Parts: sequence; structure tokens; C-alpha cells
Amino acid sequence: MRRVARGVVDFVVGDDIWIAVAVLALLAATAVLVRIGGEAWWLLPAGVPAALWISLVRARRQARGSRRLS
Amino acid sequence: MTGNLLVFLGAALASAVEMVETLTIVLALGVTRGWRAPLQGAVAALAVLVVVVAALGPALEAVPIDLLRLVVGSLLLVFGLQWLRKAILRASGFKALHDEEAAFAAEVAAARAAGGTSDGVDHYALVISFKSTLLEGMEVAFIVITLGANQGATGIAAAGAVTALVVVVIVGALVRHPLSRVPENTLKFAVGVMLTSFGTFWAGEGVGIDWPGAEVALAVLIVLTVAWSLLFTKLLGRQPIAVAA
Repeated sequence: MRRVARGVVDFVVGDDIWIAVAVLALLAATAVLVRIGGEAWWLLPAGVPAALWISLVRARRQARGSRRLS
Repeated sequence: MTGNLLVFLGAALASAVEMVETLTIVLALGVTRGWRAPLQGAVAALAVLVVVVAALGPALEAVPIDLLRLVVGSLLLVFGLQWLRKAILRASGFKALHDEEAAFAAEVAAARAAGGTSDGVDHYALVISFKSTLLEGMEVAFIVITLGANQGATGIAAAGAVTALVVVVIVGALVRHPLSRVPENTLKFAVGVMLTSFGTFWAGEGVGIDWPGAEVALAVLIVLTVAWSLLFTKLLGRQPIAVAA
């Protein structure tokens, strides 16, 4: 059962858990903005690419690090 | 109408990417160990996937639409960003491109090294074919179910996936060689863009956003996602380093 749960998490989360965490945080922030009556539509289109860019920069750093080690 | 067309295209492109990878494994098993067991394994896995989609698709359509959009939109957004991340890293040289020829050669070597049949059934070919078809197909099933359920068009999404499957199988049967000329990374990029755009749109609606322009916002999101994805590929690719996938 634990292996199945881990498999499902790996399947959805993929190579970088940061993306899933960032998406959840963005959705939570958007929901809060909606509840307090603010303009919220811009947050996801702005935050989603920012989250991916951070993940890409982290991957680039890791690739360079592994090249230095090898 | 446009939404259904995008659902069809998204499911078809995702299915094409995954089926090309599965075809490589089934072909390698077939040419080295005979066709019966690999084909049986692949057909059995496809039957399981059809049951999964047929059971879960309509069931999801019965879930309240706001909850469905929030949950499924979030999953699609995370999934789409993972596809985009991989495609951008490959396009910019930070991750090796998937090489169907190399994958085919590796599968042929493994199939030759594996033991023979003991009781007339090629368990190795059967299990490898079943497992690879099921694992690759599960991603497609996930996309078909989520795209389809949210749009109320599971049948259309399934039709897109089946169309791509039929095309890949026919071409594979004709050439009997890995489809290495298929621009797999470009297809992955396109699927990533569509899943990310749909995911942003639906998850946003799920948390209560009223998108400016309503459905037009989805088209704008697709254009924006293409633009920033290409920009990221360019920015990241300035100092590429090829590393193994």
C-alpha cells in the first residue's frame, strides 16, 4: 500500500517537488485574494512561469554541479 | 467546440509521445523473441487502460464542477509543468534527448540476454511488454480522464488518444523500426503547454477566479505559455551542458 502511494506521488510530483509545492502555494494565495475581494486573476499567470523558472535554474545548477564532480 | 478540439489534440499528442516509446520496447521484444508474447502483453495492458478510463472518466464527470476543476486543474498544472520542465531542459541541452535508436538497441540486448521460455510461454517478453505499455499508457489515461472530465468530453479525449495509438501502431507495423524521426521533444513541449494552460485556467476557476474574457482567457493563456516557455528555452540554452537523462 505504501509503495502504491509512493508510486502515485512520484507519478504526479515527478522530478521536482518544488513545482507541486509552488502550485499549491499559488492556489492558496489566489483563493485568499478571491475571498478578501481583491483582483486575483493575474496571480496564476504570473506565478506559474516564475515557479517553473526557479525549478529550471535549480536543475541547471545541479547539472553544473554534477559535471564539476565528474 | 474549440475547447473540445484542444482536448482532442492534447490527448492525441500525449498518446503519440508515450506510444512511440512503448512501440520501441514492443518492437525490440518482437524482433528478438517473437511477436506473440509482446503483443499479448501490450493488448492486455491496453485492455486494463480502457477499463480504467471507462470507469473513472464518467465517475469524475459526476463530481461537483468547482471541486473537479480545482483538483483536476491543480493536477494538470503540476503534470503539465513537469512535461514542460523536461522538454525545456532537453531542448536547452541540460538533459539528453530521448534516443529511440539507443533505447531500441538497449532493449534488444536485454531481450537477448534474458533466459528462454520454460513452459512455452515467454514470460520475460509478456511481462516487459505489459509493464511498459501499462506504465506509459497510465500517463495517457490520466490526461484523458482529467482533460475529458473537466470539459465533459471524456469520449473526445479518449478518441484523440485512440487515434494517435492507431497511427503509431500502423506506422510501426509498416516500418518495423523505432520511430526515431518523430519530434518527440517538440510533442512533449506542446503537450506541456496545453496541460499547463488548461490546468491554470481550470484550477483558477476552481479557487473562484472569474477570468477576464471568460473562455478567451484560455486561448490567451496558451499563447502566453508558449511565449514564456520558448523564452526560458532560449535563456537556459545559452550555456548548455549535455548530461545523461
